[in-house]
Amino acid sequence: MRTRKTVLLFVIPALLLYTAFFLVPTLAALALSFFRWNGISDNVTFLGLKNYINLAKDPIFHSAISNNVKFTVIVLIVQTTVSLFLATQVVKKSRFNSVMRVIFFLPMVLSSIAIAFIWTFLYDPNMGVINSVIHWISPNFNPTWLGDPQLAIFSLALVQIWTHSGQILIIFVAGLQTIPGDLYEVAQIEGANRLQTFRYVTWPMLAPVTIIAVVLTTIQSFKAFDLVFVMTDGGPFYSTEILSSFIYHQAFQDYKFGYAAAAAVIFMMLIALITFIQFKIVRRNGTDYA
Amino acid sequence: MFYSKLKRKILTLTVVIMVITALILSGCGNQTSSTGNSGEQVTLNFVHWRPEDVSTFNKIIAEFEKKYPNIKVQQTAIPSANYYGSLQSMVLSGQGADVFTSFPGSQFITLSGANAYADLGDLTGLKNIDPNLIKMGQKNGKQYAIAYQLVFNDPVYNKDIFKKYNISVPQDWNSFISACETLKKNNVTPILFTGNVSPRQLVNSLMMNYAPNEDIFDQVMQGKAKVTDPWFVQTLQRFKDLVPYMEPGALGVSQDGASALFAQGKGAMLALGSYQMAAVKKQNPNINQGLLVPMTVPASQAKWDGIFTSTFMLGINAKSSHIDAAKKFVDFLLQPDVAQEYANATGQMVTVNNVKYNSPELTEAQNFQKEHKNLRFQPVFTIALQEVNDGVNAAIQKVIGGGDPVQAAQDLQAVVDKVRASGK
Repeated sequence: MRTRKTVLLFVIPALLLYTAFFLVPTLAALALSFFRWNGISDNVTFLGLKNYINLAKDPIFHSAISNNVKFTVIVLIVQTTVSLFLATQVVKKSRFNSVMRVIFFLPMVLSSIAIAFIWTFLYDPNMGVINSVIHWISPNFNPTWLGDPQLAIFSLALVQIWTHSGQILIIFVAGLQTIPGDLYEVAQIEGANRLQTFRYVTWPMLAPVTIIAVVLTTIQSFKAFDLVFVMTDGGPFYSTEILSSFIYHQAFQDYKFGYAAAAAVIFMMLIALITFIQFKIVRRNGTDYA
Repeated sequence: MFYSKLKRKILTLTVVIMVITALILSGCGNQTSSTGNSGEQVTLNFVHWRPEDVSTFNKIIAEFEKKYPNIKVQQTAIPSANYYGSLQSMVLSGQGADVFTSFPGSQFITLSGANAYADLGDLTGLKNIDPNLIKMGQKNGKQYAIAYQLVFNDPVYNKDIFKKYNISVPQDWNSFISACETLKKNNVTPILFTGNVSPRQLVNSLMMNYAPNEDIFDQVMQGKAKVTDPWFVQTLQRFKDLVPYMEPGALGVSQDGASALFAQGKGAMLALGSYQMAAVKKQNPNINQGLLVPMTVPASQAKWDGIFTSTFMLGINAKSSHIDAAKKFVDFLLQPDVAQEYANATGQMVTVNNVKYNSPELTEAQNFQKEHKNLRFQPVFTIALQEVNDGVNAAIQKVIGGGDPVQAAQDLQAVVDKVRASGK
């Protein structure tokens, strides 16, 4: 009895925070999604499912989903690959590798708004360093990184990858360091080459950390609001509008809080579904030699 | 057994905490506060979106507090991008914003529709302002918000570059294009354009004489006119005409980037407005700036000769507990000497009369106002719904990106039709 009370006492603070900052706002958003409200007026109109129906017909919402999926897939593939590759290069314990790990992690320490501003200037077609270097190599090639609707979403993806690769690298380094050395010795004795060693030893043993890396990357990519807001604000003509910026614009620029809440509910369900699928896939391909 | 019972307890506890938390949070907005009788210390919260004006307002506030020792003013500056989100909760609750600023157009319409403003019709400072400049803060004949800043949304030009190439300020479209050609031949970017901001600025002067009347966007929203009509398609066509004279990758250039290029003398015109002149001057104190209007029709057909916006509208929260004290503060700001101090310190022109400006940029803007007798209020601020405003921006961006003006207008009309069908 005393143990149960003690356990409950320890759980209450976390429960309070979870309830106040997650459960209550989530349920409030769900309730709001069935209404029309401009965020300030006393006039709140019940719409039933109309917000959801209008979302299903909204081409900008479709565009936001499509852009978000594009953005997430590119970031997921490239960031995971780059982080894993770099992790395998800096996993061994040495002073140089320690310094390299810090350097790769540094972008995570910077404010995301500061990163967005810096990259906006780097991408500037007239004054930016990137185009200056490109112009020096190929004078006639002058890409508009943030102004070309075909290119802008990928330009943002690059910034996202640059910012978060260090974080995922650290996760992979931690995972690599838990793989028993015996397995590599056995693989060497059996005559496995580097690729086979990676395929049959390293990759399966990394399954648990890969799950974390993939889920984290996916959630971060879906929530890359600050980059979009500062660098392109969803433009040019909605080519970089993602779900989080769509929700923001609907609520705080178009004063459609109910509509934004409905989009937020769909957003939450989408992330939950994708995360669930990812867990299933990666778990199925993982191996535990314990 | 122990753990399944524990799980049940935790679940029950969660539900109980949820209900209690919901009750607490819903009760948070219902506080009452004192009415602040005279002699009683009152603290006003003044909220606006210009962090760059904080130090100037601090001085003005100190002077106000000297005059009214029982009233303290705390100012909060929230950048404009996050402004409405933060303002919303303050206005709803009546806490945190006694005096606040707002934009004309859809923001004022939304706030006034929610009865967020107190009536300011009895302020003595109103006599210091041209009534035409504060019309956008009126609703049903009452004055709810008073515009403090006066902005001219017409391109800024570099006088020295124009002088160097013997270019006079163009008076019609042909001479405007001719000026652009001359600049381009001399390797000067004729017009610096920023993808995100310039569409909403330049569209006003390009459409002002094509639009059949001042209520054109209201008529579009009522279905009495369309954006596929010639007035808007011609406006988009003018944007297309200007594309060869913009800097490379204009859609990808930020306001800061374009302003920096202009300050460095790498462009002759900047497609923003008078509000940017102070910021450019800070980057290059030697630059000589002026304002010009790209006239799309001959003078004989022109009804309007420029664009203005009266913005930074001062309003008082109708739910404030200190409305009388707030009115004293707003009235204080409307005094010519105070407005003059604000204008000269911040580089922003004000709506208050009898103000003497001490910078070349403000003097230029004042001369522009004197010389242009037929200024039209910024048309895009007459669009009641922000999503249509965003659609106008997108249509212009499509044309700048190489799209067809007719198609862009049709896409915008589709947005308008969708909004009208949703019953707004």
